[in-house]
Amino acid sequence: MTSRAGLATAGLLAPPLHEVDADTLARVRAALEAGVADATAGLGHGDVVELGLHQLRRARYRPELLALPDEPFAWKPAFVRRSLGLELVRACATGRFRGPADAVGPVTDQAVEEWRRTGRRSFHWEPWLTGLGRGARAVVHAEAVAWATPLWAAFDWTGLAGVVEFAVPYDTWNCPAARPLRLRGRSEVRVGSPPDRPSLVSVASGCPGDGWRDELAFLALVSALADPGRPAVSRVIGLWPESGYRLVVDVDGTTLAGAVDRVVDAVAVSAAVWSSVEPVAVA
Amino acid sequence: MTDDTRGGRAPGWRPLAGASLLERLRVTGCARPAADPAVAAELRALLETGGAEPVAAGAGGHLVVTKERLSRALTCPVHRTVDRFGERSFTLPLACGALVDVLFRQIVTTGTVGDPMADALDGLGVDGHQDELVAWIGDLAPSEAAELRAEVDRQSRGLADRWPTLDPAWLPRTQESMRVLLAGGAVELSARVDLAVGRPAGDRASVALVEVKSGARRPEHRDDGAFYALIESLRSPAPPFAVATYYTRTGEIDVVPVTLDLLVGAARRCLAGMRILAGTTTGPDDAGWCTECARVLPGVAVAPTAGVHPGVESVDPGGAVPAHAAPVVRLPHGRAA
Repeated sequence: MTSRAGLATAGLLAPPLHEVDADTLARVRAALEAGVADATAGLGHGDVVELGLHQLRRARYRPELLALPDEPFAWKPAFVRRSLGLELVRACATGRFRGPADAVGPVTDQAVEEWRRTGRRSFHWEPWLTGLGRGARAVVHAEAVAWATPLWAAFDWTGLAGVVEFAVPYDTWNCPAARPLRLRGRSEVRVGSPPDRPSLVSVASGCPGDGWRDELAFLALVSALADPGRPAVSRVIGLWPESGYRLVVDVDGTTLAGAVDRVVDAVAVSAAVWSSVEPVAVA
Repeated sequence: MTDDTRGGRAPGWRPLAGASLLERLRVTGCARPAADPAVAAELRALLETGGAEPVAAGAGGHLVVTKERLSRALTCPVHRTVDRFGERSFTLPLACGALVDVLFRQIVTTGTVGDPMADALDGLGVDGHQDELVAWIGDLAPSEAAELRAEVDRQSRGLADRWPTLDPAWLPRTQESMRVLLAGGAVELSARVDLAVGRPAGDRASVALVEVKSGARRPEHRDDGAFYALIESLRSPAPPFAVATYYTRTGEIDVVPVTLDLLVGAARRCLAGMRILAGTTTGPDDAGWCTECARVLPGVAVAPTAGVHPGVESVDPGGAVPAHAAPVVRLPHGRAA
């Protein structure tokens, strides 16, 4: 591993810079509930605003896209690369493979075999992948390798054995003060086990926008809201491999407050966009 | 598409294969550049103060600069077309390039190809982005379809026979997307390179970038490589140590060591293109006229250093009017846009 990866790994494991106590979290939560109550006032009762990082970014940088209906879901390589890519990094971290390109064949074969044997879809894409021809499957593999490689190279994963969790499940929080809001936070990697405060790693495409700090803090915010009993996130590391950025937010009351403001803004923008869209009649 | 593939090479020349090909890529004869933040900062400053900041001040929009847009912007005025981002027309060479790109990716990733045409079409159609091209290929007349298949088969065999297996520890990744924002995001340099090899750089250059071309070797391909090197230098701690173009038609590989001169030249070219694309200047001065056009157009000084148009396939030096004087610019031969 390069010294750069070693330093980045040490940063993941470093003690928290700031305390985040229960009072801080209570203030943050109260501010969020109050802000959201105002921002959602114009929404109909049936509208549920579900906000994740994707929607948070869209509301800030491309609000016009919020008005577009979701496309019907169909599998494509871009939808597989994250989950398969994370599995490749996990497999490489065990020392079984020398890199994602080495791991991609065995890992997908194992996933498909497991699905055939048990009927359980660990990744959901197993049946789709099975139906692909050789050329299409190679594209899926290549996309996953390209996604996984910068993450694999960013840290010394062998030094994180036992404290790293890949493909972290969604943290979800339903706002009790304003029923229509649901926050969903998903990071790619969590490092650290209780009672230690964990670090999160988030991987994004493109270049960081001017609101990157609040976006990373959003993941810490949802984590804290979803399970107040567990240790608060100490820092969130954002990777933007296409543009070479690695940015860090050390979590404290101020960064969490920034995330709250960003959520309130996104809810307000979403409500404004949706209220300006003519309802579409459904036959 | 299967015209003379010997080009200017000496009799008895044989394409490199396997370990020899890999060695050619790895050993450039030059020391690998060290990570130098000052160099990256100077390159960025050159681009921002010279081009990106005026773009930001003038246009107020978001200018995306790709190698194709740069080439179109910097071509001779006779051949420059209105910049229509993303617009392309399909040709057999373009289709061949797209199919071979997919096969190259497959060979790097899996090491094998079955029926080249079937695999390539399968890969090309998997995400829907290339549906129009896939449909165009499907509508080809039988003779053209046979010609395309024969060339794809031939190039695929060459790739499978010659392209070396890359050690997974070198972290080979295909279709790597690279972006750099300049002037607070007013300008975005964007590229997607066919293959990157080497662990992302730490203290010293460790990455080689490879572009695959299914068509003929052209001088401007080096400009494309230099553009890749520039973006990588701006987004990573160190520049790549080499940019290479691999010609699947012949098996040639053109490896260019990355030096400070190359990076500065790439930045200056990028700057010139940015100014044209942003409309802060109308185009290249006389030096931008190609020799053929300058020779026949009144009032245009001949530029001794200019002679090749990106994407223009042939000239007729004996004619009174250049054979390419009609403002037709094709995409670089054999490249998928």
